[in-house]
Amino acid sequence: MSALEQPQFSEARKAEIARLVTRYPGAQSALLPVLHMAQEDFGYLSMETQKLVAETLGVRLMAVREVVTFYTMFREQPTGQYLLEVCTNAGCMLNGADELVAHMCDALGIKVGETTPDGMFTVTEVECAGACGGAPVVQVNNVYHEKATPASMDELIAKARSEGGAA
Amino acid sequence: MTTLYINEEEITVSAGTSILEACRSHGVDVPYFCYHPELSVAANCRMCLVEVEGWNKPAASCCTPVAEGMKIHTQTEAIKKDRQMVMEYLLINHPLDCPVCDEGGDCRLQDYAVAHGASHSRYVEAKRAATNHDLGPFVTTYMTRCIHCTRCVRFADEVAGTGDMGILNRSDHMSIAGIVEEACESELSGNLADICPVGALLDKPSHDVSRPWEMTHHQSTCTQCPNGCDINIESRGDEVMRIKPVEGSPEPWLCDRGRYVYDAFRSDNRILEPEVRQDGELLQATWDEAFDRAGDLLRGKRVGIIFSPYWSAEGLASIRLMRDAVFPDAKVAFDLHRRDMRPFAFEEGFSMTTQQIEDVEHVVILGSDLRQRLPLLMQRLRKRGNMGKPVSRIGAMNYRTNMSISSDAIIRPRDWPAVIARAMQQVSDLGQTAAGMDTWLAAVPDRHEAGKVLADSLMGETCALLVGEEIRSHVDAAALIHGLDLLMRACGHAEEGNDGRNLIPEGMNAQLLASAFGDIRTSAGDLFASASAGELDALVLIGSDPVGDGLFPSAAKAALSKVPLIQIGAIAGEIGNSAEVQLPAAAYSEVDGTFINMEGRIRVARQPIRSIGQARPLWKVMMRLAQALGADVPAVDMTELRDRMAAFAPELADVWKDKATEEVLVPVARNRDAEALPARLDSSFDLDVVSRYSMYREGMWARASDLLLAAGKLHALNDVIMHPETLAAKGLKEGEHTVRTFLGEHSCHIGVREDVSPGVLFVAKRGVAGDLSDVTAASIVGGQS
Amino acid sequence: MTIPSDPKQVKQICFDRIHIPNLTKLSVARENGAYAFLPTVLKEFDAGKIIDEVKTSGLRGRGGAGFPTGLKWSFVPRNTGKPTYLLCNADEGEPGTFKDRDIMRFDPHLLIEGMIMAGFALDVQDAYIYIRGEFLYETNVMHAAIEEAYEANLLGDNILGSGFSMHLTVHRGAGAYICGEETALIESLEGKPGRPRFKPPFPAVEGFYRCPTVVNNVETLATIPAILEHGGDWHAQIGEPNNTGCKIFSVSGHVNKPGNYEVPMGTSLRTLIEDYCGGLQHGSVPKVIIPGGSSTPWLLAEHYDAPLTYDGMIKAGSMLGSGAIIVMDETADLIAVTRRLAHFYAHESCGQCTPCREGTGWLERIMNRVEAGQGREEDMQVLNEAAAHMAGRTICALADGAAAPILSLLKHFPEEVRARLVENVA
Ligand SMILES: Cc1cc2nc3c(=O)[nH]c(=O)nc-3n(C[C@H](O)[C@H](O)[C@H](O)COP(=O)(O)O)c2cc1C
Ligand code: SF4
Ligand code: FES
Repeated sequence: MSALEQPQFSEARKAEIARLVTRYPGAQSALLPVLHMAQEDFGYLSMETQKLVAETLGVRLMAVREVVTFYTMFREQPTGQYLLEVCTNAGCMLNGADELVAHMCDALGIKVGETTPDGMFTVTEVECAGACGGAPVVQVNNVYHEKATPASMDELIAKARSEGGAA
Repeated sequence: MTTLYINEEEITVSAGTSILEACRSHGVDVPYFCYHPELSVAANCRMCLVEVEGWNKPAASCCTPVAEGMKIHTQTEAIKKDRQMVMEYLLINHPLDCPVCDEGGDCRLQDYAVAHGASHSRYVEAKRAATNHDLGPFVTTYMTRCIHCTRCVRFADEVAGTGDMGILNRSDHMSIAGIVEEACESELSGNLADICPVGALLDKPSHDVSRPWEMTHHQSTCTQCPNGCDINIESRGDEVMRIKPVEGSPEPWLCDRGRYVYDAFRSDNRILEPEVRQDGELLQATWDEAFDRAGDLLRGKRVGIIFSPYWSAEGLASIRLMRDAVFPDAKVAFDLHRRDMRPFAFEEGFSMTTQQIEDVEHVVILGSDLRQRLPLLMQRLRKRGNMGKPVSRIGAMNYRTNMSISSDAIIRPRDWPAVIARAMQQVSDLGQTAAGMDTWLAAVPDRHEAGKVLADSLMGETCALLVGEEIRSHVDAAALIHGLDLLMRACGHAEEGNDGRNLIPEGMNAQLLASAFGDIRTSAGDLFASASAGELDALVLIGSDPVGDGLFPSAAKAALSKVPLIQIGAIAGEIGNSAEVQLPAAAYSEVDGTFINMEGRIRVARQPIRSIGQARPLWKVMMRLAQALGADVPAVDMTELRDRMAAFAPELADVWKDKATEEVLVPVARNRDAEALPARLDSSFDLDVVSRYSMYREGMWARASDLLLAAGKLHALNDVIMHPETLAAKGLKEGEHTVRTFLGEHSCHIGVREDVSPGVLFVAKRGVAGDLSDVTAASIVGGQS
Repeated sequence: MTIPSDPKQVKQICFDRIHIPNLTKLSVARENGAYAFLPTVLKEFDAGKIIDEVKTSGLRGRGGAGFPTGLKWSFVPRNTGKPTYLLCNADEGEPGTFKDRDIMRFDPHLLIEGMIMAGFALDVQDAYIYIRGEFLYETNVMHAAIEEAYEANLLGDNILGSGFSMHLTVHRGAGAYICGEETALIESLEGKPGRPRFKPPFPAVEGFYRCPTVVNNVETLATIPAILEHGGDWHAQIGEPNNTGCKIFSVSGHVNKPGNYEVPMGTSLRTLIEDYCGGLQHGSVPKVIIPGGSSTPWLLAEHYDAPLTYDGMIKAGSMLGSGAIIVMDETADLIAVTRRLAHFYAHESCGQCTPCREGTGWLERIMNRVEAGQGREEDMQVLNEAAAHMAGRTICALADGAAAPILSLLKHFPEEVRARLVENVA
């Protein structure tokens, strides 16, 4: 979707949303799930997308803005094709998370929070992922990689590059 | 009831009261920021901590209900330390710019920093940055100063009903924001600056021009709508800098009209000196010269008198005395929106207080843009809405209310008889009736479905009718009001105690005007017609603008081309151009006076600001005029005037004798024998014309206020609007069209909106397209019909 | 993916069958006892009996606060004319906690069964599982399991012909620790930012859409089927009085075999860490143990033999919390860990309460300086006061949690902090 295009939900999505809304006492309850869908469909939540969600659910735009800005998983800016989220909270920190982040940033030539110039990778630090038994934990596009090591991350990056290059 | 102890003292409050409210009601000072008596509790500032014996941690007093036997301490060392820490937390991100902040001197944060803060801050890190917002013409923002109490957000949600403010982000990145395009969608926006406890939201018009400690305060009465709020006029020298609500008065808020009209007090349109027309031009004159000239024009003449209902009771008394002394045959008119002068079954004014209207089972608004007409009453209805109580509505347009209306219908003014008849039919089918109802019903052949909304609303034990301008200005108003009265009787809303008949008056003092001028009143339209027909020799206009306002501008202009006008008042208005003589009278902010609002509540303004120019209180001008016309001065002081008025409303005398105003309500006149059956109205015009009341443009004061005019532009609708289907049915689209009325043909742009009733030509702005205000019906030239 | 195994199993409740492969499939779960006792409950039990059994069992909430579950259920007003809602708290955000995830991804039917039973007891028509947004895999597992349960008429209308109907919906959060706090969870489920509500009113009376609402942790609800099947008395005999049953401990940090271990209450920290977790990575006794998630006060080596019970942990000066044990051996940089936790709380504060919004940011910024060797002498007192005046003075307990690491560090290791300040001077 180009930035100028007006985002639209597909018919299937619309039906899914209509079904979802019936599961709650009020339509606004579906806001988080619908924002997840919108982010999945459009990559991130532009102001246009937020307006679309507000209209779809019949809630005020401000209500959508409040929610989008409150929750960290909702993004108002696009990210790289691979979003690498490293947990650096206590459990992971005690098991080398900081060194892991440093290694990944080095390997990709970016700082935490940045995206590689080719738009492939974004590295961020996140709060406890709820998997400290497998520390350190890296979420790659929301898939958990536990007991991550510099080597396993190098491998993952290389694999992504070869796949991404093909795509 | 719950008994508890605050600082060892035993007190009793109603169960469920918060500790903070218990303290406040007993004069115990507990500091707070986020609490506001008119808003929901947020409990986020944590400044209101108190100690409760037996609890292992301090309690936030605003959100902790009292419990039997609770022992509360508000001044322990531990609590003082807690407050000091809350202040320290708050100040770490608050700029130290009190010397340049408008709020300085009137700021909770500053006051508490002195009372509860530590002498210095231990915070050495960088302060947070913040983004400012556009919150409309009346509010300016300094968001770095925000302490996140969320009062403004709750205000927007709960009071203004706009929901256009919110809280973005979280943690210490949390910020208050408004959505720009919607931000000034509130007629109550000026209150935002008041409720902000710090200098984050400030009053834009008075921004940077004055400091709180430079102000002199004058308690007065607002006369910008029939609600007549108590106001606190803040002036620097003789110049009004701000108008604010009065703490402890029945209205915690002010509407933007009442608050920002003050720049009109000094506008170019003020009549500041006596003026006399010479060779076509109004020139300054002495009082004597002006009275001489007025005397020449009026002595021994047939005169019509038009005045504004907004003068104080004393001013109105002087008008009556002057008229009786020198023009004993003169008719008077004080209502620019009433066409039907037959007595109404229930006259203008409310039979209920706004509190009762907030509390009844059902409220139904009939033909009123209430948000524009009575913004504070609208706010009360919103409060009902927040509690889930129904409000329904019937009118020519789905006027925006910022609340959800439980059921509504849009109709043409000509449908009113059929609407009322449909409602009568419904209640009569249920076996409920009133003497005379069948006759009324028989006079109306049609039934309109919107009547269901009305009948349903009347079914409960209690209900409030709010009868608005669409009915009051109807050509057959007396019949409609008689019909409504019958309907109420049929539904058991008898008159004692469960009355519910509230006819929104033209202005203030409705009850007094009915009793003091009922015998000599006529419609403004009739006076103009008489003047045009050569039956009058002159018109005396006392503070009104029939050219700029009301339903008779064309008639007024026609009359003024025939007879001379003597104008007495504070603002010249559009009609001022036609005056032969102008005599300056003091503005409402400049007089001691007594007023009666729509509820019958008496308001006394006691601390006027000094009047400007040569303006004098109206009563003095009236007495001089009587004298100039050869009469003995009918009253020499306020006491005499008041005696005179008290004869018409004895309740006034009680208040002047120092009875508390809260204990007095002036009742609304009733005309129990005012029976009027609906007439068959035949019209050769297919469209009904309805004109919009805009709080930003209606009335000469508002039009003399640059602040209100500028705000009004943001709220403007298309000049003339119609339902798209009505236009489409004629094969026409939005655009330039010719409209035919009894006054002739005019060309105007017609826009479309779904929320106006089909069959209605809605004039959103007066004075465009010729004088559509004068007419009740029109047709579009061209197109198919 | 590793399935937690427990070599020294005494008795397990939530993890009883967790090692069985493909348990997420309804058929496999049923072969292994899932829903076997449900028809009996629906037929022979009533609300009063269920709540009595749960009360007798002594079960206390496993989400952190340890509130007696049966008592909580008994607070729900009946016949209010409003619906009652059951919300399962699967937000699992407390640093160090990762137990609910295993229940959901390995044995989703256990949770569903527990929720049906709880819902039956509370006369619930609509129940929701609020699962943290990051648990996408677990969300999908739950979705699939719920779908299968619907098909088998274990959910939906007239469950197993009992006349009882309940709908269950999985609802994904979107990255906010605070949404684990029950009233924030409710706000979030209403489609709003997760800002906690002050109490009273308590959710049991006015919760989701202002209706009576019960919020329970995943582990709490997953314990219900065993309690009803074996009886409250049976559960009450496991563990210790007032601290009954088993508890899943999520152990992480400097241990050789981090993971989830379900053990009877009363097991000592030492037993858990040495016998189950394979001991420490370095040294023989831990330097610091955080016993109940990062929000609980720190314990030291001297508490190594303290029993893992609600009461035992309070006696030792901390709290059992969610049972998330973070172990730090002598190699840990406590100042760095504290700084990192300070960052966490500053990042996760919902922002509404002054002491929490401003205090967490303040603490973080001071800790940043201290860690970087730019601390000042007065910082220690400021940290102490700023932290102490946050705790217990806010709407929810996040501020208490934020204060805990700072206060623990300053209480137990002032010399380490001072040394870092001195470093700066030198
Ligand atoms: C800041 C904060 C975070 C919390 N996070 C969780 C959580 O992630 N999961 C959880 O079950 N309870 C959490 N709780 C506790 C809940 O508020 C609540 O007590 C619990 O869900 C009740 O369930 P239980 O009685 O079954 O333990 C948290 C509490 C606070 C104050
Ligand atoms: S203590 Fe913190 S997280 Fe909890 S409600 Fe207050 S600001 Fe929000
Ligand atoms: S007034 Fe009680 S917390 Fe703000």
